[in-house]
Amino acid sequence: MNQHRFNIKLKTMSRFTYSLMTSRFISLFLITLLIIGGMGIGTYILASSTTQFQQTINPGTLTTDIVDSSYNSVANPSVTMNPVTFSFSCQTATGTFGTSSQQIYVQNPDAADDGWTLTVAPANTTDYWDGSSSDFDFNDGSGSGCSDGSDADSLAGQMTIDPSGATLSTGQCSSCTTNNISKGSSTAFEEGTTDSVTLLTASASSDDIGDWTLQGVSISQTIPAEQPAESYTINMVLTVTAS
Amino acid sequence: MFVLNYYKSRKFSFSLLIVFILSALIFSFEGNSALAMGYGGIGGRPAYPDPKNPRTQSIFVYTLEPGTTKNDGVLLVNNTDKEKTLMVYAVDSVVSSGGAFACRQMNEPKKDVGRWISLSKSEVTLQPGKNEIVPFTIKVPKEASVGEHNGCIIIQEKKEKKENQKGMVLTFRTGLRVAVTVPGKIVRKLKIENFQVEKRKNGNFLLRPQIRNLGNVSIDTDVKVITRYFFGLILAQHGGQFPILRGKTSDWNFELKKPFWGGWYKSQLIATYDQNPEASIGIQSGKSLTTLKSKPIYFFSPPTPLALSIEIVVLLLIIFLIFLLVLAIKRKKWIQNQWQEYQVKPEDDIKKIAEEFGLSWKLLARVNKLQPPYALKPGDTIKVPPKPEKK
Repeated sequence: MNQHRFNIKLKTMSRFTYSLMTSRFISLFLITLLIIGGMGIGTYILASSTTQFQQTINPGTLTTDIVDSSYNSVANPSVTMNPVTFSFSCQTATGTFGTSSQQIYVQNPDAADDGWTLTVAPANTTDYWDGSSSDFDFNDGSGSGCSDGSDADSLAGQMTIDPSGATLSTGQCSSCTTNNISKGSSTAFEEGTTDSVTLLTASASSDDIGDWTLQGVSISQTIPAEQPAESYTINMVLTVTAS
Repeated sequence: MFVLNYYKSRKFSFSLLIVFILSALIFSFEGNSALAMGYGGIGGRPAYPDPKNPRTQSIFVYTLEPGTTKNDGVLLVNNTDKEKTLMVYAVDSVVSSGGAFACRQMNEPKKDVGRWISLSKSEVTLQPGKNEIVPFTIKVPKEASVGEHNGCIIIQEKKEKKENQKGMVLTFRTGLRVAVTVPGKIVRKLKIENFQVEKRKNGNFLLRPQIRNLGNVSIDTDVKVITRYFFGLILAQHGGQFPILRGKTSDWNFELKKPFWGGWYKSQLIATYDQNPEASIGIQSGKSLTTLKSKPIYFFSPPTPLALSIEIVVLLLIIFLIFLLVLAIKRKKWIQNQWQEYQVKPEDDIKKIAEEFGLSWKLLARVNKLQPPYALKPGDTIKVPPKPEKK
């Protein structure tokens, strides 16, 4: 009987302890919140009274890149020209530089307040479209790009870049505008004469802080007659210059 | 049971401890996260800008006599979250298409400012968020000609060449202009070469000004293209301040969106610059500026479909109003010419007279300017139309 009473007592105690524990749990959690909140408020009050806020904003730099639709840098960006079929006559391949998944991107975080230019040029003016067994030129205007001219190499072919019809938009900066940024004209590379093509020119009155994307720059490349069927590569450099 | 409860109570205490620690961690992290701030990218800027010339915050500007040397520095910045190795090198400038300033490639031969610059380092490895100043020296040769010479200091990430990439493979770099003016007879003169307005396939217009620099230094020019409605109100203004390089022609493409209302428009190029030789990059002479204006170009733009619909509705409304006006004038003239005087008889009232002459009493009241209750006294004279002929 006594044992039974003791057990009942224990059960009652355990229920009591359990409920006490639960209420303690909640209470302690609330106390924790209050303490941490209080500490936080205390920190802010102390900080504001002693003006001990510390904030480091690193200087921004003018940069260019190729980014995806979420503005993440594309690891190995490239521009693929639309494929063409072998032809006995000179033909033109077209392509688009700057797409929704590989946007041309310029970021100016107050680094070039007096304007900048975005240009594209070959890594070397003497470069060419390089295939495994044959090559063709990108900057030889002779015969409308269909025949070899007086430049150093003996290759024909010419690339034309037309940013005038491209779409210039603001990037992540919601308050920025594209005002006072001019798109370049349709230009063909010509060795020694036109070694660099302007995509964008921002004036001094363009936004000092901003980011912009460019999509839909047209590229056309004349391919000489009887150019062997294979894949070709060329290295191009995108330069943003504070001017 | 007691043991179990005891065990439970220990477990709860342990849980409470974990809750406390976790809460503290969560809240402490939340509190501190607002203090972190960064901005991506690698690049550089002048390390020691001249406080008297704001342009030197983003480019290098010097006036140096032939044979002199200048020491300066370029600040290289890594604002990414990864360690980066940056290449830093000097090159000559090149005039890009449209007369824009650009930098030559690393492998191209250096003949001008690119050759005058000696950097103390060619590569710098920077930890995330770090920067470093790379000192450099510019030595102007004794035979350097009077006027402006340009070059660039380039910052480029060092990357291993990727294999098996096809098509146009891209690399990226940031250039900082280095403008060195050798003093002497400085000529600052511009000429408007051309101004065109081209219609695009999408209905927009391309405003294309061309300005030539006839001098021996670059000129920061305020280029404005103002497009007005036919009657003079400004529709849009394009342009900004652009450097026009020595001896070169600069052109720009400003896109004018298809005007909503359509009609005839007028665009004009206005270029303003400091022609005085005391002026230089980033510094005005303080004297009056020179303004060049092109001849205005008139062009027509058809209205947008919505504008056309609105315009048609408004036009129809105007035609209808004119029709009503003409009708009212004609009726007034007919009343003046054809209506006769009529003396009101004792048994007459306005309704009876109107019925007799075949018209509404309201018209009769309006023509004779009668006020409510339109009472007529015998002997009053009013105007009435000719009596309708009886069939």
